[in-house]
Amino acid sequence: MNPLLSFSGVSFSYGTKEVIQSASFDLEAGSCAALIGPNGAGKTTLLRLAAGTLHCRTGRVILNNQPLHALPLTKIARTVALVPQQLDVPFQFTVREVVEQGRTPYLGFLRGPMSEDRIAVDRALKLADVTGLQRRIFNELSGGERQRVKIALGLAQQPKLLLLDEPTQNLDIGRQVELIDLLHFLRGEGITILASIHDLQLIEGNFSSAVLLSPDVPLMKGTPEEILKPSILEKAFNCPPRRHPLLLERIERYTKRAG
Amino acid sequence: MLLILTLVIVILFSLATGAVRISPAAILSALFGHQPLTPTQQIILLQIRLPRVLASGVVGSALAISGLLFQGLFRNPMADPYIIGSSGGAVLGACIGIFFFSQFSLFGFSATALLAFAGSVATMVLVYFLARSNGRTNVVTLLLAGFAVSTMFGYSSYLFQTFDSNSGASQAILLSWLHGVIGIPGWTQLAVTGVLLLSAIVLAMPLMRRLNTLALGDEYAHQLGLRVEYTRIGIILTGSLLTAAAVSLGGLISFAGLIVPHVARLLLGPNHVRLLPVTALSGAIFLVIADTLARTVLAPTEIPVGILMAFLGGPFFLYLLRKNKRSYLL
Repeated sequence: MNPLLSFSGVSFSYGTKEVIQSASFDLEAGSCAALIGPNGAGKTTLLRLAAGTLHCRTGRVILNNQPLHALPLTKIARTVALVPQQLDVPFQFTVREVVEQGRTPYLGFLRGPMSEDRIAVDRALKLADVTGLQRRIFNELSGGERQRVKIALGLAQQPKLLLLDEPTQNLDIGRQVELIDLLHFLRGEGITILASIHDLQLIEGNFSSAVLLSPDVPLMKGTPEEILKPSILEKAFNCPPRRHPLLLERIERYTKRAG
Repeated sequence: MLLILTLVIVILFSLATGAVRISPAAILSALFGHQPLTPTQQIILLQIRLPRVLASGVVGSALAISGLLFQGLFRNPMADPYIIGSSGGAVLGACIGIFFFSQFSLFGFSATALLAFAGSVATMVLVYFLARSNGRTNVVTLLLAGFAVSTMFGYSSYLFQTFDSNSGASQAILLSWLHGVIGIPGWTQLAVTGVLLLSAIVLAMPLMRRLNTLALGDEYAHQLGLRVEYTRIGIILTGSLLTAAAVSLGGLISFAGLIVPHVARLLLGPNHVRLLPVTALSGAIFLVIADTLARTVLAPTEIPVGILMAFLGGPFFLYLLRKNKRSYLL
């Protein structure tokens, strides 16, 4: 089966600072992948490259067998949605007005929203479970509510691929679990997911694969079990193994299994 | 609908007030052909009051829409029509007009009006290209370049005053122009600016939905498939046409373009599609009222409407500033 998204030999630099060095991986349709790596490793950059807001200097990003840079913006926007870490909205826009902007790639030059757009917005609100919030002011929502509204905005684009930048950041454990459940649900709806995640404990059992991006090791992709080995994490995150409970717990688990 | 009715009533009352009072009922009955006005009344109405009242309506509407466009573009409720430098260019143009070509006019336009219009549009084009690099414009650079150019050109008025040959007469004209005075424009000038206003409204209509999308930020809008740069050019072009039209009729009138969109937003919410017609009409109503007050409160002396606006608008602006303490990100 052809992958939905594939990076081959992608490098990217902001000015002279090279952020991503010849990254290659495939993302199969229907998978739910976690993107992990230390701060500044280029996770956000990679997601932006995948959404077409940045263009790579070398290598290519391929979406649905077509090179991304050759596709028109609206075509990309109908296939890929990127949920950013931060969304600042000036003025008192309501949740529904914010989510309606997700229909932009479907609107023509003069054609405004039609009934099908309204239906798509209703559906996006329902999928992200924020229908009850639609009349609230976006800026007045809590962090967890905001995260779900941002996902609804992405879903209004009716994407095949949903990219999420740190969706669990700043969420309490209860909201984190709700968010993971939402991702499972969306995967059930046939949406492919790639999410950058800092909470490594959330990955096993919840994601079908993990992509590791680190300046110190080449890009790796595998099942969570393959990637989340203490030896790999230690090197990739440059973290002394006995100084962090997560690594400690994993080392114990692996030695037990070996013994 | 209610606003259209209000505008008509406001215009009627504005026509009625002045040194010679003509009752609104008399104007209406003359309009419907029942009882003609006296010749003096006709002259006062058709040649003095009507052009002025219509001009203030056009200026108010143009400034309000322009303010709405720039506030949306900069994602900041404190933006106004002069934010990217049009005022500076207009001052420069007006100075040249007032000091060197005061006797000159073309198709009913004074040289001052024409040059102010040209100066206003030219500065915005200049600022846009100054802020542009690698095919993109940074909004913050646009703002700063606008500020610098506007200040630079704005102070040129002091330089021109030293060249004044008419022993102070031109200076007085310049001073009132800088404070915003709606004169009595010729009918051709009124018609041309009116057409300009209407075409700018037509241009603005498809931009309104895009302003809502731009509220999410440039990068997000781009990711949603919006052609951010073209949209930005469209907004700047429409906004600068409107500002230039307003400046050519009324000089520099402060605060109108800032307050009207804000009040509309308080009442209707931030959806630009719904804001456009309301802003256009309330801008007209607001300035017709302000100009009527400006010419009647201290009659026979006339306060420049810009000064009246500063007295009305200043406190309101400060109120907004206090209310929105949270910083607005660009």
